[in-house]
Amino acid sequence: MRAHGYAPSLRVRRPIWFRVRLADTLPHVPRSLTTRVSGWYAGFGRLGHFLADMARGLRDVHTWPAQTVAQLLRIGVNSVPIALFVAAFTGVVLALQASYTFTGAVPLYFVGTLVGKTIMLELGPVLTGLVLAGRVGANTAAELGTMRVTEQVDALETLAYDPFAYLVIPRVVASTVMFPVVVALAMAMGVLTGLVTAVNLLDLSTVEFVRGLKLFYQFKDIWFGLVKSMSFGFAIGVVGCMKGLAVRRGAQEVGRATTDAVVLGAKLILVLDAVWAVLLL
Amino acid sequence: MKRRDEVVVGATIVVALAVIIVAALWLSEAELGRGGTIHVARFRTVGGLGVGDPVVLSGVRVGRVAGIRLGERNWVEAELQVYRDVTLPSNPAVIAASASFFGEWQAGIISLDQPPDDPKVRRDLDEALAAADDAWPGAALPDIGQLTAQAGRIARDITLVSSRVQEAFDSTAVRALQQSIRNFGRVADRIAEFTEQQTNLLGAVGQRLEQGSDVLHDAALSLQTSLARIDSATNQGELESILENTQEASGYMRDATRRFSELIDVAHENQESIVRVLQAADSIMTRIQNRSGTLGMLVGDSTLYIETIQAVIQLRTLLADIQANPRKYFKFSVF
Repeated sequence: MRAHGYAPSLRVRRPIWFRVRLADTLPHVPRSLTTRVSGWYAGFGRLGHFLADMARGLRDVHTWPAQTVAQLLRIGVNSVPIALFVAAFTGVVLALQASYTFTGAVPLYFVGTLVGKTIMLELGPVLTGLVLAGRVGANTAAELGTMRVTEQVDALETLAYDPFAYLVIPRVVASTVMFPVVVALAMAMGVLTGLVTAVNLLDLSTVEFVRGLKLFYQFKDIWFGLVKSMSFGFAIGVVGCMKGLAVRRGAQEVGRATTDAVVLGAKLILVLDAVWAVLLL
Repeated sequence: MKRRDEVVVGATIVVALAVIIVAALWLSEAELGRGGTIHVARFRTVGGLGVGDPVVLSGVRVGRVAGIRLGERNWVEAELQVYRDVTLPSNPAVIAASASFFGEWQAGIISLDQPPDDPKVRRDLDEALAAADDAWPGAALPDIGQLTAQAGRIARDITLVSSRVQEAFDSTAVRALQQSIRNFGRVADRIAEFTEQQTNLLGAVGQRLEQGSDVLHDAALSLQTSLARIDSATNQGELESILENTQEASGYMRDATRRFSELIDVAHENQESIVRVLQAADSIMTRIQNRSGTLGMLVGDSTLYIETIQAVIQLRTLLADIQANPRKYFKFSVF
């Protein structure tokens, strides 16, 4: 059993600044705060090591590409139905709420503008990301945690397989590649259901909806959402794998790791969403 | 199983890519098949015009704004992608203006041969035209915000004027106003009387005009009847016959004229001999009148006339004697 959750990190000698405890350097600060801050500090350090190990595993091109196709199917294709379901109802609600907001003040064809912009820029990537954070992040953390508990990860190492090349990289690559694919389909579904709702439930024609949809459209609206979703996929894949491999013992820790993966994944999605908004909008 | 997984994953990725590409092209109205020609328009400011906004000609979309960049000397250059099959004005200019109250902008292509009425826009276009080489001159109309601000200033001015009017409108002014209104009422009454008189006059004139109109109507009917007859004659071929007869008579006239001309020519030729005859006759008559020559002497001397008469008498006597006594003068014998 490894002391830090995943074996490769033990082989790295940490620098002196990594080993200094924050509480020792700031004796007058309350201990709970220093503990919490030092926890974040350690978390970033673990993340750095995890990414470094992952980068090293990328060189094992005989291992991870073969495992990636299966993960593409599990993480991407199998997530399409739930993503489309969420996007469909998001489009319906957006169209209805937009018409409710615009009544008497703004022309109704702006329903198309609002639905398109909101789905493409924000709700499509973020809602799909949150849904997949639950589905993919939890699945990955639970699977790797169980493998860790049942020593399957150790068995891989015994068989001279790099766990990062065999387990982590295929999942991270699959989630990074397939998140934009799923989000693209979700965007299309959201706009389509918004159109159907506007035509059937509102006093709006297809031509008016499309006019509003095209009104302020920029190509950036699409690629911005796809770039965001790619970063979400990468974050969820990394967090799921990291939490799963960090499990030390027992089913309870597997459950906690799963919860942590989902919560942290959701938080990262929102943080990344804000970061991309600042950087690209 | 693995092969099937690869196919499913590949199909999903391809479908998503297709959806994204098609949606992006459709939403951006890229018009891949039509292409377009890039024209550069030069503005002092483009207002709210942005990349992707429509380019319209006479209200019809003919392209899109492909790019906007800052040029030299603070000019703004807008690249307009205009569809190839569009016929542009010979002297084009571009007006950037709001397309609606909700922030939509468009670039309208106009002809400088029919410039806009706004003097500021004209000035901007002239300035851009003077500075441009190959670029079209452009000008931007004020956006809704500026118009709203202007309207706000006008509203404040109206409020100020109203308050001043309210201050100046005291009881004296009210009485003066009432008096003015009464005067105005009297003037209105007089105008009403005058109007009534003029109305009566106009009624009489109108009645006469109506009579004249009736006469004109009758004349028009007569003319219409005449035209109908002419039309009828034309339809029955009589007019054509008349024209043919006229044409034939014209031929005869032309022939007679030709013959008369020939006759004139002959008379002209005989004129000289006639003149000579007349001159000779005149000479003879002159000599007779002057009693010169034989005839003159005969005319001037009655003796010859008397002797001639006597000779005639004697001749008749001789003839009578011959008839009475032929053997006296003629003698016939056979052997």
